[in-house]
Amino acid sequence: MSATTTAMVFGTEIHQPVQHGKPGGIMRRLNIVTGLIGGIGLAAVAGVVTNALVPSGASTATFAPVAPDLVYLAMLVGWTIGFSVGIGAFVGPIRWFLGRDLTHADAEYMAGKDLGWVRYFKFTTDHKVVGIQYLVVFAIILGFGGLLAMLIRTELGVTWAEVFSPGFYNSMIGTHGIAMIIAMIISVMGPIANFIMPIMIGARDMAFPRLNALSLWLVVVAAVMLISTLFQGGIQDGWSVYQPLASQAPPAMLGYQMTIIVFAISTGVASVNLIVTALTMRAKGMTWSRTPIFVYGVFGAALMGLYAFPFFQYSQIMALTDRIFDTSFFNPLQGGSVWLYENLFWLLGHPEVYVILIPSTAILLELMPVFLRKPLFSFNFAIAGIVGVVALSGLVWAHHMYMTGWAPAANYPFMLSTEMISIPVGFLVLVMIGTMWRGLVWTRLPVMAVYAVIFNKMIGGVTGIYLSDVPANQFFHGSMFVVAHFHYMLMGAGLFGAMAGLAFYFPKMTGRILDERTASIGFWTAFVGFQITFMAMFVAGLQGMPRRVLQFDSLFNAPNWISTIGAYIIGLGMLVFAGAVISSWISGDKAPANPFGSKSLEWQTPTPVPLENFAVLPVVTERPYNYGVADPYEKELAAIDGDLDVQKVGSQ
Amino acid sequence: MTTIDDRPVNPPDEPEPPTNRPPSMERVRMWLRRPYAKGIVILTIIIGLALLPLAWLILVPMNVTGAPASAIMQDIETTVFWFTIVSVPIVAFVYAVLVYSLIKWRGHSGDTIPEDESPAIRSNTIGVVLWTAFTSALAFFLVVWGLVALAQITQNAYGTISADQQPGDAQSVIVNVTAQQWVWTFQYPQHDNVTTDVLYLPKDRPIYFNVTSKDVIHNFWLVELGVKIDANPGAITQTGVTPNKLGTFNLRCAELCGMHHAYMETSVEVLEDRAFNSVMRELGGGRTS
Ligand code: HEM
Ligand SMILES: [Cu+2]
Repeated sequence: MSATTTAMVFGTEIHQPVQHGKPGGIMRRLNIVTGLIGGIGLAAVAGVVTNALVPSGASTATFAPVAPDLVYLAMLVGWTIGFSVGIGAFVGPIRWFLGRDLTHADAEYMAGKDLGWVRYFKFTTDHKVVGIQYLVVFAIILGFGGLLAMLIRTELGVTWAEVFSPGFYNSMIGTHGIAMIIAMIISVMGPIANFIMPIMIGARDMAFPRLNALSLWLVVVAAVMLISTLFQGGIQDGWSVYQPLASQAPPAMLGYQMTIIVFAISTGVASVNLIVTALTMRAKGMTWSRTPIFVYGVFGAALMGLYAFPFFQYSQIMALTDRIFDTSFFNPLQGGSVWLYENLFWLLGHPEVYVILIPSTAILLELMPVFLRKPLFSFNFAIAGIVGVVALSGLVWAHHMYMTGWAPAANYPFMLSTEMISIPVGFLVLVMIGTMWRGLVWTRLPVMAVYAVIFNKMIGGVTGIYLSDVPANQFFHGSMFVVAHFHYMLMGAGLFGAMAGLAFYFPKMTGRILDERTASIGFWTAFVGFQITFMAMFVAGLQGMPRRVLQFDSLFNAPNWISTIGAYIIGLGMLVFAGAVISSWISGDKAPANPFGSKSLEWQTPTPVPLENFAVLPVVTERPYNYGVADPYEKELAAIDGDLDVQKVGSQ
Repeated sequence: MTTIDDRPVNPPDEPEPPTNRPPSMERVRMWLRRPYAKGIVILTIIIGLALLPLAWLILVPMNVTGAPASAIMQDIETTVFWFTIVSVPIVAFVYAVLVYSLIKWRGHSGDTIPEDESPAIRSNTIGVVLWTAFTSALAFFLVVWGLVALAQITQNAYGTISADQQPGDAQSVIVNVTAQQWVWTFQYPQHDNVTTDVLYLPKDRPIYFNVTSKDVIHNFWLVELGVKIDANPGAITQTGVTPNKLGTFNLRCAELCGMHHAYMETSVEVLEDRAFNSVMRELGGGRTS
């Protein structure tokens, strides 16, 4: 037991940690069940204790009873800590503190070695397990948000009656909004960046495997808190929960605040992990010009997440202390400022759109060369596009505040920066159509989705320029037009792009072939439904229908009926798509290692990808996307000035 | 291909693309002779012409609640119209490439990896420069248009003048707007502080609004007049407009303000000057300004 082991590293003898008991130690007993026991148990204890401690009948300055707030908050904190402890999130630091560092065997146990399916329900560090876990969590949150979307559209389609009470209706909007935002932020950065990126850059895992597991389980913690708000009166104030409206809200608001605080920790941890991985774990020879574009996209999105999320987190911590400790950051009656809240909120709120769109665009850039059998068009412009968006992303937030009266003079520079950002976004469109240019398309679902995404992105982009214009915004702000616009971006470009990425990496991630026929039927059904839903919503907005209303002028009836029918078609399409994914995952044919003939590293590994990915670490000797043959027209051009020494292109 | 090796190698980079290219005019001419070039140009024109009517169509729903009743709203419609027109060429070009690619560049389908490789175009200076020039020109146009139009409507809305400095000349009308869950109240300081819950405005006279809220944030939206400004608790925001049409218009709350936000609407009556004054008198605002 106590025999010290050593290892030779670079000719030096290094002491190795000592193995205590079986590999994994206490981690052998911890899994999602102990997490739930810990979380629910501690929540219950915290709730009961708080309830006993709060004097009955105590009320706040505004005569609201304090007990429900404090009890719920205690339960949320109890849940967060209890679940994290129960699943083993703190085992690593505690062992280190006790001087019992992880041995190699411990680390392998934690990576899920020889654990079978159980590893998906544990605090497993293998990036591929984390990727799959993220995929499932993403799908569940998306499904939850989608169900709410159907209910919202039902209410709006039933123009002759109130289906839901106004309070519940409002909470469906808020919950749908924030659930979808969370789902879309993890849509690509979770499953694909975690599972694929380390393999793509020739690494054995992420830089910080345990932080990786932590970021995933914190999303689970946050998602449960988000759902719990529905039983505490609901998030009735939209996903932006402006103050001071939110201070009137039922205890559910604390659930929202805790969700954001925990989710922001998760994105912070995940962003650092992705950034360090991209910076330091790339294979030998993978210089920046040989690094795939997806890595740039993930890197840029992680950078934005890293600077933007803290604003959101602080805003919610401040709102929480306003509520619980009577601070007055945002309460105007006590010298607080509602504009401060709006600024903090949108300092995240806008960059977050790019946190969703950049990885989703990057994954399309990554897969296009494979199906078009030609290199990515203008790799440098793709990078310039990403860099430009990241650089400008932090300078445009106040275009959400044109109409607040906060700083009328600031509307000029913010209009300028907002319209400027269309230039780097345009670069990314150029790279897409340039890659399409003269390429013979191998018409598989992932690349066909690119057409859908570009189609939607143009509509989202053009409507965005109306909104970025202050005078026009004076008509559109707060109307259904805005809602239709951002769904074109977040869903039409973001979600559809993420679906393409998942269809592309499905064989690698699950080891099965995706039933593309059924998935395509679902995808295109959703696409058609999407156009119906949101085109009609544009019309409602143009007519002057405000957003976040459940009853409206009968002038707006017709577009709302159409929009609701479209929404059901989306729902149907999504179900078909999900059905194809699930049935292929369970019983699809076994996938070969490289079904699309890709030249990227991630496809050179066997499927299923072994633990630690590569038996021998790869060395990269070429630029990515070496597809294609010499351009026949180049010869023709060269002939003009008698120079036949044509550029040597194509794979070598 | 990527090699998998256990020894570190330091491979040389690929050769730089050659720089000696034929003169650009000649390239353009040759380019236009290529079959796909013609196809895409024609498609761009067709799609562009098909999209152009949108510039007018988009104004149709905008007038459903009511036609513009102020210069501000007219400016807004002009802006939407021109922004649509200038976006059409770029959208048309991108859609033309999509359509052409789907029709003419459709390669093989099915599960087997295609044999044919496509031309390895790693970049194209002319294409990149043209795209950048066009999109930047578009963005530049939008910015300049936007800045000028903003200055103009700010002027039409009488800028933001602090409350104690507002001109008290006989022409202008000051209205203090107070939002409160879920009603609007309007107070006319020049008319003995008459208070109403319907917004009465005289036609062709500059109106100044001082907007505030008693509880949460609301948004004061005069739909046909193109006025929109938040009503914030603890602050007064200012805007203004000159209605140029008689009639009944809509005021809607455009910021979620709680349970009954959907019902927080009222109407706006734009009256002839004389009618406005008599309404004020009837409501008890004896002094006319
Ligand atoms: C099934 C497809 C979807 C439908 C039918 C749908 C429909 C709606 C509707 C009707 C609203 C409320 C509009 C209002 O009255 O203000 C809404 C709000 C919203 N949706 Fe969706 N949605 C869908 C998918 C998505 C997706 C994929 C996202 C991704 C981010 C998303 C993000 C949001 C956000 C952020 C809001 C704003 C919530 C708020 O006002 O606070 N939705 N959606
Ligand atoms: Cu209101």
